[in-house]
Amino acid sequence: MTRPVRAALLAALAVAMSIAVPSFAPIGAYASTSHHAQPTKVGRSARVSVPGCTAEYGVTSRDSDSWSATEPVERTFGDGTPDTTSCIHLEVNKHTNLQDHERIDVTWSGAHPTAGRALNPFGETGLEQEYPVLLMQCRGIDPKDDPKVSAKQEVTPDTCWTNTYFERTASADPGLGIWQQEADATDADTAHISGIDPAKIPDECNVTSTFDYHITPFQAANGTLYPGCSSQSMPPEATVNSVSIPQEASAFTNLHGDGQFEFDPRTNLDNASLGCSSTVPCTLEAIPIDGINCAPGNASQACNATGQLPAGQVNPGSAPQDAVAPAFWWSASNWERRIPVPLTFAPPPGVCQAASAGKPVPFYGSELLSQAALQWTPAYCQNKKRFNWQDNIIPDQAAVALMTNGSAASAEVSSRQANDDDIDYAPTAVTGWGIGFDIDKPGNAGQQLTINLDARLLAKLLTESYPGSVAVEQAHPGFSHNPLSLNLDPEFEKLNPGLDTAHWSENAAALMNLSTSSGVITQLTSYIAADPSAMAFLHGQPDHWGMRVNPFYKNVKLPVSTWPLLDTWVDKTTNNPCLQAAPTAYMPLIASPVSSLRLVATALLYSWPLVTTGCTGNGTTTSPFQLSRAAPEGLGNRFILGLITLGDAKRYDLTVANLQASPGHYVAADDAGLSAAVKLAKPGPKLKPFELSQKAIRKSKTAYPGTSIVYTAAKTSGLPKATAADVAQFIKVSSTEGQVAGRGNGELPDGYLPITKSGPTRRLFAQSQKAAAAIAAQKASPQQASPGSSAGAPPSSSTGPDIPLPSAGTTTPPVPSPEIAPTDGSSPTQSGTVTAALSSPVGGSLLPVLLLLGIAAGAVTGGSRYWLRKQGLK
Amino acid sequence: MSLATLARRGSHGATSPERTDSDVPAKPSKAATPRQDAPPGGLAERLSLASSACAVLALVCGWMLLQLLVLGGLSHTRDQTLLYSKFRSELAQATAPTGELDYNGNPVQPGAPVALLTIPAIGLQQVVVDGTASGDLTAGPGHLRDTPLPGQAGWSWVFGRGSIDGAPFHKIADLAKGDTASVRTGQGLVDYTVVDVRRAGDPVPALPAGSGGGLLTLVTADSRGFLSALRASAPVYVDLTTDKALTDGPVAGAVPSSELVMARDTSGLPILTLLLALLTGLVLAITAARRHFRAALVWLVSTPVVIALAWAATDQVTRLLPNLM
Repeated sequence: MTRPVRAALLAALAVAMSIAVPSFAPIGAYASTSHHAQPTKVGRSARVSVPGCTAEYGVTSRDSDSWSATEPVERTFGDGTPDTTSCIHLEVNKHTNLQDHERIDVTWSGAHPTAGRALNPFGETGLEQEYPVLLMQCRGIDPKDDPKVSAKQEVTPDTCWTNTYFERTASADPGLGIWQQEADATDADTAHISGIDPAKIPDECNVTSTFDYHITPFQAANGTLYPGCSSQSMPPEATVNSVSIPQEASAFTNLHGDGQFEFDPRTNLDNASLGCSSTVPCTLEAIPIDGINCAPGNASQACNATGQLPAGQVNPGSAPQDAVAPAFWWSASNWERRIPVPLTFAPPPGVCQAASAGKPVPFYGSELLSQAALQWTPAYCQNKKRFNWQDNIIPDQAAVALMTNGSAASAEVSSRQANDDDIDYAPTAVTGWGIGFDIDKPGNAGQQLTINLDARLLAKLLTESYPGSVAVEQAHPGFSHNPLSLNLDPEFEKLNPGLDTAHWSENAAALMNLSTSSGVITQLTSYIAADPSAMAFLHGQPDHWGMRVNPFYKNVKLPVSTWPLLDTWVDKTTNNPCLQAAPTAYMPLIASPVSSLRLVATALLYSWPLVTTGCTGNGTTTSPFQLSRAAPEGLGNRFILGLITLGDAKRYDLTVANLQASPGHYVAADDAGLSAAVKLAKPGPKLKPFELSQKAIRKSKTAYPGTSIVYTAAKTSGLPKATAADVAQFIKVSSTEGQVAGRGNGELPDGYLPITKSGPTRRLFAQSQKAAAAIAAQKASPQQASPGSSAGAPPSSSTGPDIPLPSAGTTTPPVPSPEIAPTDGSSPTQSGTVTAALSSPVGGSLLPVLLLLGIAAGAVTGGSRYWLRKQGLK
Repeated sequence: MSLATLARRGSHGATSPERTDSDVPAKPSKAATPRQDAPPGGLAERLSLASSACAVLALVCGWMLLQLLVLGGLSHTRDQTLLYSKFRSELAQATAPTGELDYNGNPVQPGAPVALLTIPAIGLQQVVVDGTASGDLTAGPGHLRDTPLPGQAGWSWVFGRGSIDGAPFHKIADLAKGDTASVRTGQGLVDYTVVDVRRAGDPVPALPAGSGGGLLTLVTADSRGFLSALRASAPVYVDLTTDKALTDGPVAGAVPSSELVMARDTSGLPILTLLLALLTGLVLAITAARRHFRAALVWLVSTPVVIALAWAATDQVTRLLPNLM
């Protein structure tokens, strides 16, 4: 629905709802001075009293970062209907040291069941519901949490983020606005314009005298006031249909009054206008929409409305009634019921990029380490005794190449590399990969929290063996006996009963995967290669139900470090105008892999499939045909899976599938599964990686197959002293204080199994201490000095001694300096590294010699010929 | 040496139009009196011999120069045209390599197109091939295979010839700080800015920080002073940076020493031996044919074969020369 249409609709709705309602004389105040305040258990005032329910905020747990609150809620009616009360209990699983997009699991009970569920609860699309719980992020501290907060820091509706102005602006026939019928409405509320100084309303908002308005402006962190009454007067981050989905959500409460939602908090990295950061505290406001309080005697139908949509069911297409609609979250009745969860944020990843943090020492390597790095980095750059550690994500092999040639101090890898004679490996993290999924139970029964998968199902997904649609099933060779998508596969149904078996989609036909080379892909494909039934399937043998492998992938060789896209089938009968205009292999568009596992995690976070079989444009030069990504899946109907790291899974609260270890045993990606797998790892040769074979895991009932050990690999000879000391310091710090589980700086986040002196990881701990000593000592017999080992040379591991590459023979640390803005205008350089002299006598002299020799020989020939001819001779 | 002697004897007169004229009795000679062979043993005979030897030497030098400076350029232009259309179709089909593995997961073959490099300031537009051995650089600038592709994050290296075979990188040392260049690969278009031209002793620039930091180093050889256009004695580096580089793909673990800076490639020696043997055989065959057939006929038939063999042999000789020449 377009904006103008929606705006018109909302305005019309507001008018329709308020027609024939007599205007009501306001009493009380808009902002919460209450006449029957009672002291509560935590000493805060509340305007309602519900027997057996005491307002209480900030019950925390010693073991975890959880936070809970209780809020008594009462709705008063003016038409004689008995007042309703409820007691809402809300709990979040974390609220401090949050990272950008680190989802918070919010659960509540005792709320009014939501009616007319919106499949997309985010932003304006969530408004079409009755009685949802609106979750929004607001800048500041709520007086309910801290009564002493200064007015400047206090949360008000003006500091709460919304993505569209529909959530900030309401209009109605004069005197008939639902906010004007509040029991506590003041003269200010019943005015023609309320909520904002009329002088600040820009012209484009088209405020006319025909209607009354309530406008909730947005106060940005930098002081700018955005009126919020038109799309132009919203903050710049408020964009519709952009990459990021709206943050605020009108969450669903089931018929028992229970609800659960993963709230996605954002820092100033994503939303500078909201401006939450490690220095600016914010609040997650959970506003249970429970109905506008009508004053006694106000019998207006609009004010006393209790909803017209079916409770617990999907919205059939009708509009909600204003009195119970989330669009009026800022009204006094709704705002007063808010439950404020105080949030604090971790330092941003960029904290160590400041020049004052010192020159970063880059480590390169596996994405498996990235979530730990997020918490570890500040513990280095903010400690004067430590170096400035910098983690960069690149494929394992490339990282080792950089480390070997000296461009990187160290490589973070998850497996043994070639030619590693003088390289030691220090175990740094035990983590792994997993198959994340967003799957909903049928009939709005909530999210499915566990599924079981085996190697053959993964092989089926990776080989694009599910057609995804009837048209592809009929046209693509070899698909005639294949289920349309994973949820229709009898093998999957047998492992995961009770899920949707009625629908199919392209989103459920593929695994969101990585396009680049990665140790994770090697491990995933090794897992498949170790499973005889999966390999039989790949070799062309049908499964018990007759499904066959996609013929393009038949006999594909595993393991691989980059998953190949082999299907070249072009759909010649397609209706898709983009594909008609430019025929393209179809199945890779369903697989549509991306360049990092983080992007897969983001796709799961937004339930937004990577499938790009859509088409936009009309084929003209101004609007050419373009393949487009599928729409995000609606809550309640989701079914997508993707390959993610366990660190991302825990950080963003994504659900991860259990994988089959020994036949019939499905193991969860938790600490128990990781430690069981670590126990199976066999020590390698001296200070080389442990060998964790999928064959051993297939014999275990408890080992998680996606377990990976990430190592810090560094040279034991030829490293400059300073660099060697930095690497040794990193290994020591990361294997001790970096292995303390927690959410603070320097601690180990969820998704990683701590490496400790005792327990299943003790051998890893011992090896990292030995490796740290060996790397610090740099006493391994030095390898033949090759120019490639010095700074400034291109990554090259075999270099002829007679052909020195540039800048051979320097002794400075082989560390490219960061781009610290030079103040004198000179370019940053690799510290002390200069271009080496190199010359080629052949190259320099060949052409001149040829030229001179040719001219001389020609002259001799000409001269002698001339003389001979003069003599009359031949 | 035996070749030169044979050539002298075999192609006796080939270098001398007058001789050819006089060999044809039907054509009246320009000389008033017929010239005679030099009497054996005397100064005149030795001079005649030296003259012929020098003629052959001049011919070989001239041919080499012609091949390296002119014909090599032609061949380079032709290769570029073919590579351009090949790369264009790969881009259109989205099968252009994004690393050292091609669309099918096989290693990219040396000589295959991997990028299109454009530097408007010196009017350069070249298809970059994979591999930097002397033979690969004949077709165009080459990508050092154990570095990321141009346009990708990290430090990429591209080698190009500076004086022979079309000399695509002849002018890169004229680039100045701030000049722009662009690289188009299968992943998209990336714009670079020249940091500086770097020679021995100059500081090596840093890799730009951040995930999009890319450093592209163009390498060729040149020199300064007399006949500098023909003298490619020392490598010169031009560093370009971008902060919008694309994700890097797989890189080769290592490259043979023939693909490093100023390296030579001896892998063509067996073929060169074969071609020289064929050339020798051809000389003998021409000498024999001259005794039985008219000279014009013999040359008509043999000249194309001589040129083809000489061309092929010189191509192999080029591989023995430093790759940046």
